[in-house]
Amino acid sequence: MKKNSIIEIKNLTKYYGKIKGVKNLNLELKEGEIFGFIGPNGAGKSTTIRSIMNLINKTEGCVLIDGMEFNKDDVSVKEKIGYLPSEINLYDDFTVKEMLDYHESFYKKDIHKKRTELVEKLNLDEKKKIEDLSLGNLKKLGIVLALMHQPKILILDEPTSGLDPIMQNIFYDILKEEKKKGTTILYSTHILSEISKICDRVGIIKDGNLIKIEKIDEIIKNNLVFVTITSNEVNKIIDDLKIEIISKENNTIKFKNKSSHCELIKQLASYEIEKILIEEPTLEDIFLHYYEGEE
Amino acid sequence: MFKREMKINFKSFLIWTLILIILFLVVFLMYPSIMNSENIQMMNEMLKVFPEEMLKAFNMDISNIDTAFGWLKTEGFVFVLLITGIYSGILGSNILLKEENDKTIEYLNSLPVTRKNIVISKILSSVIYIMLMILILGLFNFIGLSIIEDFDKKLFVLLSITPLFSSLVIFALCLLISTFTHKTRKTLGISLVIVFVSYFLQIISEMSETTEFLKYISIFTLADIRNVITDITINPIMILLTIILFVLFTIMTIIHYNEKELI
Repeated sequence: MKKNSIIEIKNLTKYYGKIKGVKNLNLELKEGEIFGFIGPNGAGKSTTIRSIMNLINKTEGCVLIDGMEFNKDDVSVKEKIGYLPSEINLYDDFTVKEMLDYHESFYKKDIHKKRTELVEKLNLDEKKKIEDLSLGNLKKLGIVLALMHQPKILILDEPTSGLDPIMQNIFYDILKEEKKKGTTILYSTHILSEISKICDRVGIIKDGNLIKIEKIDEIIKNNLVFVTITSNEVNKIIDDLKIEIISKENNTIKFKNKSSHCELIKQLASYEIEKILIEEPTLEDIFLHYYEGEE
Repeated sequence: MFKREMKINFKSFLIWTLILIILFLVVFLMYPSIMNSENIQMMNEMLKVFPEEMLKAFNMDISNIDTAFGWLKTEGFVFVLLITGIYSGILGSNILLKEENDKTIEYLNSLPVTRKNIVISKILSSVIYIMLMILILGLFNFIGLSIIEDFDKKLFVLLSITPLFSSLVIFALCLLISTFTHKTRKTLGISLVIVFVSYFLQIISEMSETTEFLKYISIFTLADIRNVITDITINPIMILLTIILFVLFTIMTIIHYNEKELI
């Protein structure tokens, strides 16, 4: 069965005076998917998210939520959205408990149970004052605030910055649970490994343009794995394996692996290899790959 | 949201109200001794030397300062006007912009609440605090005056209400101005300029007939202390003007805030 579009961004353009924020961005998110939105700092991720949230005015274009245009004062649409900004700023004079109570007071439905569950999972101390919270704990509170009203849509802007690896894993588990329930998640980040861990699709944004939308499986299939080998026999390896090298420096070569890892290792076993490094592409590698594709 | 607004604005309300109360407390403690001394005679003689325009500017031509109420009518209410005006100006400049300055607007905007409701909650709590300040001060002065002397109670009540008009309009104007910028520092400066320039224009306008037109651009004309003292009544036009200006500025604030980029 074809899934419905939950978020549709149509021709979104945002200029800050003459400076381009994003241009002609089109994006559709299906129900229950986790969409990774990746790009370097200043690429237009936050501009896109802030336009969706109506914090800034769009120069052109619109955002549809559940098929209806999302305008500033659509309270019923806002109820469906959970938002975690990249920098969390909350009311310093509140304690965590007061902040959560305050958040609860805006929703008609009972969200206390979910709140308790999240606070326990993330090990958050409700007695602490917000001004005394560490960056990590502030992030945890932000996560609880974004999720406690059980939104259908989650918009997360660099959600794991400040979280330790253990908490990051707990957070990924929470997101996977949400996905199972059918929650749609827009996950903005500049860390590629996060995307491959939890996202179904990824959109790559650079200089305000969405340059590619790809399924995660496709990215992996697309030979985007880099291998670096140091060996006295590099020239022989290049000839025998017929590999296209990216760079060569003395006895070290770097190339994109087009076959499976298993096959590659079998082939390399007959050579004298000093060092071998098989690595995930960096954000730069991905961009380079897609730029080449575009050209 | 309204409850939170009341809570966070309570401290500044308390400080400003205390400033006014301490000021008047000092006056009430000092006046009995001034009145009993011969200084008052000397002071009245001295005032006669001042040009009439000057005395008019401080309402001293229609009131003596040999009683505490007399002082209230001249200088006292000027302080009340200025301080409630400054308080209202700061409140108006700050109350919406604070969310942007502290960057809490990103959170507030994500909540299921309209921008109009955000503005209304903030206006409501501010108006309550402005009214409360004027009420508390009125009550304090009423009690203070009752202890030390006899005074015209009707005139006192009317005079105590008048700062409400100028304060509400200053608040609404500063709130509107705050929707045109993202930095509190700018609007705070503008609000103080509005209060002091208004006050200055009001003083000059009362000095002579040639400068009288200036009163039409001073917000303090709405408080109209001079006419209240002479007529012992509040001019309904001032009430109407206050309501019209307050509603107009509020509507403009709501419209412009709705269009504003919040980050």
